[in-house]
Amino acid sequence: MARQAPDAGGLLLRLHTGATLVFLYAPIVVLVVFSFTSDSFGVRWTGFTLQWYERLFRDERLIGATLNTLLVATISTVIATVIGTMLAFAMERYRFRGRTGLEALLYVPIVIPEIVMALALLGFFALAFGLIDAWFGVRPVMGLATVIIAHVAFTISFVVVVVRTSLKSFDLRLEEAAADLGADPWQTFRHITLPLILPGIIGGALLGFTLSLDDFIITFFTTGPGTSLLPVEVYGQVKRAITPKINALSTLMLVASITLVFLSQFVQRRGRTA
Amino acid sequence: MKQLSRFVLIVASLMLLVACGGTAPTTPTAAPSSDAPATDGVDREQLAQELRVYNWTDYIDPALLDAFEQEYGVRVIVDNYDANEDMIAKVRAGGSGYDIVVPSDYAVETMWRDDLLQEINRTWLPNLGNLEPSLLDKYFDPGNRYSVPYMYGITGIAYHRSAFPDGITSWAALFDPVQLERVRGQVSMLDDERETPGAALRYLGHSLNATDAAAIAEATALLQAQTEYLAAYNSSDVNRKLSSGEYLIAHAWSGQAMQARNGLGDEFAGNPEIAFVIPNEGGAIWMDNMAILKESPNAYTAHVFIDFLMRPEIAAQNAGYIGYLTPNAAALALLPDSIKALYAEGFAPDATVMQRLEWMVRDEQSTVFTELWTAVKGQ
Amino acid sequence: MAIGGITAAGARSGARRRLAMLLAPGLFWLIAFFAIPLVVVLAYSVAVPGPTGRVEWRFTLENYQRLFGETLYVSAYVRSLWVGLLTTLICLVAGYPLALFIVRQPPAWRAALLFLILIPFWTNFLVRTYAWMIILSNNGIVNTAIQSLGLPRQILYPGEGAVLVGLVYGQLPFMVLPLVAALDRFDFTLMEAAADLGASRRRAFWRIMLPLTAPGIAAGSVLVFIPTVGQFVVSDLLGGAKVDFLGNLLQRLFTRSNPPNWPLGSAMAVIFMVVLTVAIVAYFRATAEERR
Repeated sequence: MARQAPDAGGLLLRLHTGATLVFLYAPIVVLVVFSFTSDSFGVRWTGFTLQWYERLFRDERLIGATLNTLLVATISTVIATVIGTMLAFAMERYRFRGRTGLEALLYVPIVIPEIVMALALLGFFALAFGLIDAWFGVRPVMGLATVIIAHVAFTISFVVVVVRTSLKSFDLRLEEAAADLGADPWQTFRHITLPLILPGIIGGALLGFTLSLDDFIITFFTTGPGTSLLPVEVYGQVKRAITPKINALSTLMLVASITLVFLSQFVQRRGRTA
Repeated sequence: MKQLSRFVLIVASLMLLVACGGTAPTTPTAAPSSDAPATDGVDREQLAQELRVYNWTDYIDPALLDAFEQEYGVRVIVDNYDANEDMIAKVRAGGSGYDIVVPSDYAVETMWRDDLLQEINRTWLPNLGNLEPSLLDKYFDPGNRYSVPYMYGITGIAYHRSAFPDGITSWAALFDPVQLERVRGQVSMLDDERETPGAALRYLGHSLNATDAAAIAEATALLQAQTEYLAAYNSSDVNRKLSSGEYLIAHAWSGQAMQARNGLGDEFAGNPEIAFVIPNEGGAIWMDNMAILKESPNAYTAHVFIDFLMRPEIAAQNAGYIGYLTPNAAALALLPDSIKALYAEGFAPDATVMQRLEWMVRDEQSTVFTELWTAVKGQ
Repeated sequence: MAIGGITAAGARSGARRRLAMLLAPGLFWLIAFFAIPLVVVLAYSVAVPGPTGRVEWRFTLENYQRLFGETLYVSAYVRSLWVGLLTTLICLVAGYPLALFIVRQPPAWRAALLFLILIPFWTNFLVRTYAWMIILSNNGIVNTAIQSLGLPRQILYPGEGAVLVGLVYGQLPFMVLPLVAALDRFDFTLMEAAADLGASRRRAFWRIMLPLTAPGIAAGSVLVFIPTVGQFVVSDLLGGAKVDFLGNLLQRLFTRSNPPNWPLGSAMAVIFMVVLTVAIVAYFRATAEERR
């Protein structure tokens, strides 16, 4: 779409965006700054130090938990995005018996209180594992796999909600035109529909990823011995003290994600000019 | 179209990076040291390779886990919980995978009544004799059939001496509006539906297990009136907020007070101004205990580990690290001097203080405390 | 919209097969992990709490009677809904212009901006909340600024204002992403057409843009409102845990009280879910009407 000439409204929008970004990054700046403070409470500036980074790198448990968390978030996001997009399509494009029921079921993961879902999943896995044990004589233990299954379960609905938003404002004539020109349904989807709703899909995936990274309650109840995840570790630390070590960890994750975003932009640009 | 492929590229590269680094690190298991003395009565043939302990957060000195692994070649995995009820919910579901859990007093009773614990085999615990006899055989586990005391603590008032130069002797410091006014907004109470009403009940001259309607109504009114003076109900980082001076006075567990005073490992420095007292009206005592899950296949190894933790020098090191009180009488003499000084100063109960302490009992009547607490927080 | 995009009648069975394929994995996941637990929660909600926290399977409606009868519970509901509503409104007012700005950027910038908004949320939630404590505390950045202007120090934290700041902060991206998805598909030439026909910008916004992007507003509102109604950690940390929200009550009844009371907690969860589902469906119906 054409970019409009800057005007009073545009200026306001720009100011608003600037202010919002300041709001979003204010705590982030604080967090980063205090990852370098020598104050062990991490709440005052008492001098520069790198000791928290040093301690972070020595803390195998914390690093392991971080990697586990990233792994869980990535895998569950990919699965939930695929399944969620398929569901969104079924809901927006088809009429079928039970559609209203499914509509309600889709909102359950969003409206269900987390603690309820966590305990329900805990009970479910215990029961399922008990049955597996009885039938096959092997008892699975909860761990990364159960956490991933649980995270997929609660992120699917978020993906569906966002993707449907894209599909709702979709101009169906585009698909009809493609069909008229002889494209089969898959070609139509691949070349017309998917590119147009991709922002919705990516938005849904990003939401899912963000939710999964920070989830504590469901993660706590579906993980097993020796499988620690970041939110659980950090919640435990609140009891004693959140040290600037966690600030250091967060800072590194920030730097990594920002670098990746810029790198991919750069690669993309190079790819286009070449 | 261009921006779309860009989206995909960004996401894909993020995920790729993540996937590459995403395998969980496996800590190499130290080989069992073959030169370890085999004369300690422990049958190494019977030991499992791995022991899984479900414990409160930061409730064991990690150095001891390494020491145990060095000595016996058993790797100890520790995971954490922050409430008995969380732990019980997980264990009750079945197949939790843990061997040892650390339930508090009343939770021990809940668990053995629910058939979740296995009986302790005393012949495998030669160090049991090190424990203080007066802390054994309590109401929640008569004869200690299912549990072994691990750490105990008392609940009272922690405060800054500079703000209270004359010291504190009564719960009135936390409940009398006149005294509260001076420290408004710098006070915290535990966020706990038994501890906090318990303090109010003791101040009012009742047992902290009182459930009669009159006493409960009185306590409710007292707590409701107190709310406006509080910075927060807080059971978690009271230690650091006391130490940093954000709170001048707080209803606290003795361990939190000790951590505020002595600092916490390399995590934060202590504040020499912090004192702790059990007011004259009395306070609470509680205890966390080691127990072996019924479903654990590694009972022998679990016993060896529990016995290891009851060695006097090990128990002393652990108590020094954690900051709560050790029930291990033989360990008291071996505690670091800084801790010994605090024990003498009132962070641990002496015989007279012991008289003023009460165990919190949970029974059918206890639901009134859930209702009381809901009423306090529902205004 | 019978069977979208398929015109040839012969393709009907193919469409059926495709529908089945689209539905199968999602249905499996939803039924296994939600429909079944939901039935269990319903069953719990009409059972009796046992003395050790186990559930006793005797039928009763007492749990529901208590929840509707005692003002304490009702007031926690009202408080939570009110905070949810307030947070949603603020997020909408702040999020809509932001989404508008993002979709009006050249494609190269759009992706970067979206990431820029989400990246703060890839740090740990508790650390972010602690950062807000630092900013809002008595000697914090905000108070330092206020005092340097010669104004008296304000107690911002712990308090209700701090809670609201924390909630809006945490939920804003959940409003912005659906709005971007909706505005991205909005045809901005419609606004020019409206202007050509003599409509003022304001009128064009209210009559054309807002209705056409209503699905995004609806989705965003739901994604912000529901977690806010059920939250308790932000209000505990930034508000001092002095009053109960629904989330506190649920948390307490399930895993903090001794003995825990799963039946009462389940009944509370059931009411919570019914109220919210009805509200959501009604809300989506309303926004869909508006679009026509």
